[in-house]
Amino acid sequence: MSRLAAGLILLLAALLQVTLAPRLELAGAFPNLVLLLVAGWTLVRGAGGGIRWAVAGGLLLDLVAPGPLGVHALALAAAAYATGFLQRSFEVDPVLLPAVSGALATVVYNLVLIAIFQLLGNPVAFLPALQAWVAPSALYDAALIPVVVLLLRRLDRALPEPVAIEW
Amino acid sequence: MNRRAQSRSSGLLLSTAAALLVLVLFTQLPAAAGPRGYLKGAMAPLAVATSGFLSWGGGGLAVLGDASRLRSDNQRLAADNAALRRHLAELQAAGVENADLRRALAFQKSFGHRLLAAGVIGRAPDGLTRSITIDRGRADGIRIGMVVASGAGLVGRVSEVAEHSATVETLVDAASRVNSYTQQSGLEGTVIGEGGPLAMELLPRPGVVVAPGESVLTSGIGRLFPRGLVVGQVTRFYRRDSATVEQADLAPAVDFAAVSMVLVITDFTPAAP
Repeated sequence: MSRLAAGLILLLAALLQVTLAPRLELAGAFPNLVLLLVAGWTLVRGAGGGIRWAVAGGLLLDLVAPGPLGVHALALAAAAYATGFLQRSFEVDPVLLPAVSGALATVVYNLVLIAIFQLLGNPVAFLPALQAWVAPSALYDAALIPVVVLLLRRLDRALPEPVAIEW
Repeated sequence: MNRRAQSRSSGLLLSTAAALLVLVLFTQLPAAAGPRGYLKGAMAPLAVATSGFLSWGGGGLAVLGDASRLRSDNQRLAADNAALRRHLAELQAAGVENADLRRALAFQKSFGHRLLAAGVIGRAPDGLTRSITIDRGRADGIRIGMVVASGAGLVGRVSEVAEHSATVETLVDAASRVNSYTQQSGLEGTVIGEGGPLAMELLPRPGVVVAPGESVLTSGIGRLFPRGLVVGQVTRFYRRDSATVEQADLAPAVDFAAVSMVLVITDFTPAAP
């Protein structure tokens, strides 16, 4: 996929994350669209591609989120790495691997966020957050990610990366 | 092959994480607040446009047509109900408190402040922080620390300001602390945000018990919030004879997931936190 197309998709996802996603709340959780794209792209293209999407998508998310820049980018990069690790370690299953990856990515992303908030002097009550937010949102993201992976595979085929001509 | 890919992605993660950590630490410095605000301000028009498009498009979706109408009716009725509850709590508070004392504390003034209406254009992308973004910023006179309310009660305080947008740390945010009192029993304490419901730590007074349903209002102590804004209602009171502080669970007066319009109090100068 070209960088422009990837950038536009991530920009749209970041904007929808702060406007639409909170309206999709179920059992106290709502999906993280940028995280789903990052984890999905990692499953399509591996950890390297996923980390690049994490940085781009995370910085866009940081621009629409409160607090310093880089927080969401860092948490998403860790989530992409964890997803890539899972992908390399296990047999590819079209539904199970994405679902487990989605849940793992959500847990890693939130744990890194909690650690950064702690570092910045804004501690979050760990156990209540785990119970009320991280666990339900991991299930939510796990349910959605197989569809995201399917869409990303199709988009990747429909919008191929421009071929670089080397001399 | 697998091991090489693993070490390549580990290297990429480490270098990326180091660079991002430096960015986080740098942009959280007070000196970086200005450039950070300008960068975030550049995204505000896009958030306003997306939010407006969703509001427009949301009602037009045939599938959600009836559900959307019912939901908006429900929201309107809930808002009416919340406004009536606030009115009742304020009237009851007015009855309970001594009129002279209220004048001395400028209690009445807290309901006659200059207000600036603002639309909610975004919410925090994660569930760990419960802030909202509004479509008013430095250009409209918004400053950090300004108090934000809605028809139903207190929403929170402005925590970040860009040129045309601002971030409001809501009551339910984990970092939020609001000095408050229970309207009928008169116990004072602090309302603590816990990411969802609210908790209140109360200073006990012998023989005084807080009843569920009792309203909680800002006390004005510390001068971060004006006195008399409705915070929520007590849902449960935990009485422990040996405790140095009593505890209560509160239901917030404002539905933070549904609030779409807020009022910024522009003529109340809060003390530095």
